[in-house]
Amino acid sequence: MKEYGSIAAVEGRNITKDFMVGGTVSKVLKGISLKVMQGEFVSVMGQSGSGKSTLLYILGGLDTPTEGSVYIDGTDICSFDDAKMSRIRRQKIGFVFQFYNLIPNLNVEENIMLPLLLDGKKIRDYRGQLDHILDVVGLSDRRKHTPRQLSGGQQQRTAIARALIGSPDILFADEPTGNLDSRTGGGIMRLLEDINRDSGQTIIMVTHSQEAAESSSRIITVRDGVLA
Amino acid sequence: MNIIIKYILTNMKERKVRTVVMLLSVILSSSLLFVSYSIGASYESAQQKMARGMYGKASLSVTALDDSAELDDNTVPDIPEIQAEAGLRKQAAMYSEGGYYETVDLVSSNLEQLNRINKPRMSGGGSITGFSGRQIILPDRFSSKFGISKGDTVTLRINDIPVSFEVYGIAAYDTLFLRQTRGATALVPLDVLTDIVQQTQKYSEILIEPADDVTAGELKSCLEEKLPQDLYRVSETVDEAQIAADARQKSMPFFLISFFALTMSVFIIYSSYKVITLDRLPVIGTFRSIGAEEKTVTSILLAESVVYGLTGGLIGIPVGTAILKVILHGLGDRLAQGIEIPAVITLPAISISIAAAVIVSLLSSWIPVRRAGRLPVKEVVLGTVEEKKRPVQHTVAIAAILGIISIVLPRIAPEKMLYPAGGLSLLGLIAAAILFIPSFTNLAARGMERLYGTLFGNEGMLAARNMRDNKNVTQNITLLFISISAVISISAVGNFVTSYISDVFQGAELEGFADGHMEEDFIRQVKELKGIEEVLPIHVLEDKVQGEGGSFTRLEATDNLKCYSSMFALHYSDGKESEKAVSAFGENERVMIISEDTMKKMGLTPGDKISLSDGTYTAAYRIIAGYKSRATDVEAVIPSYRAVQDFGAEGYDFLAYTAADADAVMVQIRNLFGDTPNWSRTVEEFNADAASTVSTFLQPMHSMTYFILLMAAVGIVNNLLINYMQRRRAIAMYKSAGLSGRQNVKMMLIEGVSAGLIGAAAAIAVSYMEIQTIFTVAGPKISIRPDLDIAIFLAAGAMGIVITAAGSAVPILKSRQMKLAEEIKFE
Repeated sequence: MKEYGSIAAVEGRNITKDFMVGGTVSKVLKGISLKVMQGEFVSVMGQSGSGKSTLLYILGGLDTPTEGSVYIDGTDICSFDDAKMSRIRRQKIGFVFQFYNLIPNLNVEENIMLPLLLDGKKIRDYRGQLDHILDVVGLSDRRKHTPRQLSGGQQQRTAIARALIGSPDILFADEPTGNLDSRTGGGIMRLLEDINRDSGQTIIMVTHSQEAAESSSRIITVRDGVLA
Repeated sequence: MNIIIKYILTNMKERKVRTVVMLLSVILSSSLLFVSYSIGASYESAQQKMARGMYGKASLSVTALDDSAELDDNTVPDIPEIQAEAGLRKQAAMYSEGGYYETVDLVSSNLEQLNRINKPRMSGGGSITGFSGRQIILPDRFSSKFGISKGDTVTLRINDIPVSFEVYGIAAYDTLFLRQTRGATALVPLDVLTDIVQQTQKYSEILIEPADDVTAGELKSCLEEKLPQDLYRVSETVDEAQIAADARQKSMPFFLISFFALTMSVFIIYSSYKVITLDRLPVIGTFRSIGAEEKTVTSILLAESVVYGLTGGLIGIPVGTAILKVILHGLGDRLAQGIEIPAVITLPAISISIAAAVIVSLLSSWIPVRRAGRLPVKEVVLGTVEEKKRPVQHTVAIAAILGIISIVLPRIAPEKMLYPAGGLSLLGLIAAAILFIPSFTNLAARGMERLYGTLFGNEGMLAARNMRDNKNVTQNITLLFISISAVISISAVGNFVTSYISDVFQGAELEGFADGHMEEDFIRQVKELKGIEEVLPIHVLEDKVQGEGGSFTRLEATDNLKCYSSMFALHYSDGKESEKAVSAFGENERVMIISEDTMKKMGLTPGDKISLSDGTYTAAYRIIAGYKSRATDVEAVIPSYRAVQDFGAEGYDFLAYTAADADAVMVQIRNLFGDTPNWSRTVEEFNADAASTVSTFLQPMHSMTYFILLMAAVGIVNNLLINYMQRRRAIAMYKSAGLSGRQNVKMMLIEGVSAGLIGAAAAIAVSYMEIQTIFTVAGPKISIRPDLDIAIFLAAGAMGIVITAAGSAVPILKSRQMKLAEEIKFE
């Protein structure tokens, strides 16, 4: 059993999330509490509509809980205003989505550098880091291509590179292989495994795939809005 | 079928914002078309009214050719072809105040008869009762000019005898008071005029209104048969065809507005539909996968556009009527001294506007809808549809060829084909610019990327980068350029029309003139006046000289043709002819310059020799040049020496001058005239008189420009909303990568302002070319080129930038309410 740091990379306390559906309140998350330690690779599984993606977005600060709180670096991010939250996204968090979410008219390099550009950094100061990350994700020869000119797997690699460029504390991945064939999906999972193993990157991943989940160090399951 | 209608209505209901924007653009374009069409018609009607002036509903007039012919209430036979008749008695009079002379034409009539044909409209409302004795009704333009009020006494000189009248009331500058020539018309009781001036006939003229369904021509023939032709002349009061042609020319800006309104509407709906069809691809895929044919999919989407068109068109009419009333009501308020413009709402205006709304919606949506219908089912279902890209070089080449053809076409088209060539040129210029804008935007965005990176940091760089290859941005720029170029063209043409109509002396050097008889000594005294610069005395021969093709209504003579040419802005048919003419005039040869219209009328060309005669002496004159001028309606000019020698011209009858202070000189000239009747004005004063009516008359056109801007704003907000709808996922992606709200606002504003800048630059260039086309087409009818004001271009450009920047507020506000997780979660 691998040992992880004693500090929680992210902690959710008593998270609830309600949605209004056709005038009635639907409780998607019903008081979930969990801790993910630094360096951990956690898979979140559950059936469709169980609330696993909602949990991931709340932990990653893309959504806010109806009740409860989320701590990153020991600070409750739920009370953050837009500016603070945006800074957390640029500096502490990396996100990988099922549909890649790349900016279509920016090329691979520009997409990857986006969090740094938004943080006021200059591309020229991060050339070395960019080359390294392109090397890691195997896209050095595709750096000037736009997302349309890439395959699904290459787009997802670009998204992973973008998520990692700012050396974030936590990488959130929402079904990163959900839109890929099994072979390409396998390649992406190996890449995430390598990143977690080699650089101790904390990863929290939502997946449907048992095979993908087996790459992680811990699997948690959400069922009917609570942890099973 | 019910399911399809339900589907269409559900779509419209669910996408409220888009439906509102689509409807708004259709409503605005149809109402704008309706307003411009109706204003054109109203304007034409007012023009007809103005041209008719004294004649009102009368189409014919009967005058006596001989003193022995009776002209009274029994002259015109009582026949069913006549609806009404009114006898008029006319008498010239002169009003003077402080050396300022004004011709006043006195008119009197049986009021009962007059009311039927051309009822005078009193300024304060009400009708004329108890109008008798030495009373007079003056038009408000005259009374306000001289500070005359109801109850005042005015003295007029009739046949050099002073006659005083009590002012019965003030009439609107309308009906019989309206006139095309200088001076004023006043109404006096019939018996008073009969007492003052002894005349054989009771009336000077009898006006006749034909019965319904009887044309002026038919009635004229009928009367000519019944009245002895050696005693009476029956003539048509106005040339209807000419009036319609003049009105059409003056209402040109309104139709220009309609043209731009339609072009903008097509673009708004086309771009909206492009997005709608893209948005509907999954639904189209579903329909196709369950067996719907290509034409079924096309019909469903087209049916939706018809619903937009029909609803928008139907709402557009009452909205347009309200706008029309507001514009004309506002105009009425300002036209206290002007002409009442009726709101003419015709069935064609209503049908054309609704039809245009439906057709424009249908045609604009047809291309994107048909393209969507033709997509391979597999690609649609799998969501792998990609728009085919045409090589940039091809597009730029097509744009360049189209642009060049559009610029050249009106310049090489034969005169008869000028209007169609002009229309095609305007469309071609807009189409060329639409094709060129994506490449231009990419180029500009590349330059901006570096600049903005330095000026605004990474957000600036990203905003500029985001503009490259971004169809939404190019659509915005296109819409903006169409609107700004419309505003610029309409303003420039409108200002030109205003100044063209009101400032006939544009380009002419004279700053003042005097119309009255002057001897050499008078001219010498004028030349010695303080502040006078240049003096040009002119001999005037009115209806005195006969040519071979007819008589010259007005022929003038000067000894300084160079000065004459610049004073009256003569435009010679051939530039080289002017020098020859000046030199020949200097040598007192028997030469003449002749106006192009007169040449045409008399079938003459430069180089021809014609015999001029005053009935006692005949001499052959060589036509040395042809000219056009708006500052003078003189038909021909000969050297002074020859006018004196050949036709016995004595003294001068007109004088043009330039001076440091034209007003001061005018006062001195009036003093020199003393009690001698004269008409002395400065050009500024003359123009102010003309402009007071004309500029107010053309006010609706300026109001319409604001509606064009409103439409542009709606179009841009529409585009920005569409942009936002398409981009909200991209914004969500940016946000997920750490874009803050402040950064988002900064990027959107930079993008909006940059799009505005590019749009304004394109609009300035295109509108300049459009104006050149418009004036090339109108060129043969006008003799001057437009004096383009750079301020109009810059102001419209700046306005466009402000609109785009302000338009960014909508997507900015909407992106603030964005639920990030929801935007990102679903493809």
